[in-house]
Amino acid sequence: MKLSNYGFLALGALVLAATGCSTMNTVENVPVQGQRNIIADRRVITDPDLARSVAIIAVNTTPGEGGLLRAQVEVANHMQSVKRFLYKFEWFDANGMQVNNIISANLTEQLEGGETKFISSIAPTPDCKDFRLKLLSAN
Amino acid sequence: MNAKLLFPLIAALPLLATSCATDAHYVQTGDREQIVNLKQINIQDYAKAASLAVQKLLASPALDRVTTPPALVELSRIINNTSQQVDTDLLTKKISIAMLQSGRAVTRTVDDKAIGYQQQQAYLNDPRNVRLPDFTLSGKIIETVERAGDTRRTTYTFQLSLNDTKQGVQVWEDEEEIGKQGTRAAVGF
Repeated sequence: MKLSNYGFLALGALVLAATGCSTMNTVENVPVQGQRNIIADRRVITDPDLARSVAIIAVNTTPGEGGLLRAQVEVANHMQSVKRFLYKFEWFDANGMQVNNIISANLTEQLEGGETKFISSIAPTPDCKDFRLKLLSAN
Repeated sequence: MNAKLLFPLIAALPLLATSCATDAHYVQTGDREQIVNLKQINIQDYAKAASLAVQKLLASPALDRVTTPPALVELSRIINNTSQQVDTDLLTKKISIAMLQSGRAVTRTVDDKAIGYQQQQAYLNDPRNVRLPDFTLSGKIIETVERAGDTRRTTYTFQLSLNDTKQGVQVWEDEEEIGKQGTRAAVGF
């Protein structure tokens, strides 16, 4: 069979697509010894594609050193390809006022296909009681 | 090619060229349009290194092990082992701001006038009242370059150490790596 130009292009695209798809396997101890303080959360999804490739699994907090609250969000990539994204933690005091700080910078992160990762932050002051995580797709 | 088709194409070329240009506009540091260079540390690289390092510092109990809190920290030398000129304040100032904001540490001033007044007061009162720093913060920025054909991978390693001045030991250390790979600079990541 003789392939046309379109046939070659399609074949090339298939090879590229196959190369770009690699997913992650993991193994961990059971039963898990550490107990996470999973908290209730409210999610606002405006980008459904991002919600699949950076899916939020759970949110947990713990009081840290010096009375600084620590927050950790578990995210998973349910897609087959690598996903790059930006994230930013915003922190709020007991009156709901945002506390601007250096820690709340836009940070780049990436998830391999099928990978689960923890992204975390620490409150910039002991007054911070609440937080919000913002996620933004790279493309 | 038919001249009737060629002329409109030539006429459209300047329009295409114009549409590729971008008008100047304000941006936020670390946004989706960030410029990524392979041969220099970008502004978002300092922000990321400082943010991650300071989170680890604040999560550690090292700063609380002082007799009179908040801890007094003196910002020491950050060695630049990269091929470019670097203003290390882009890293240390962010860490200093975060430490002050947390209320767990204050930093020793570098202002000449403030130091002069402090020395004057120490002379008039009791020199033994002068508080020496509990810790110094030092570090190093290292550049590693690897190549494969036209592809270049540059890794900037930011190393930081919190040194106990009384015992002469390091009580906290951190290392953040910012890696970039490609053949040319790009807008977006």
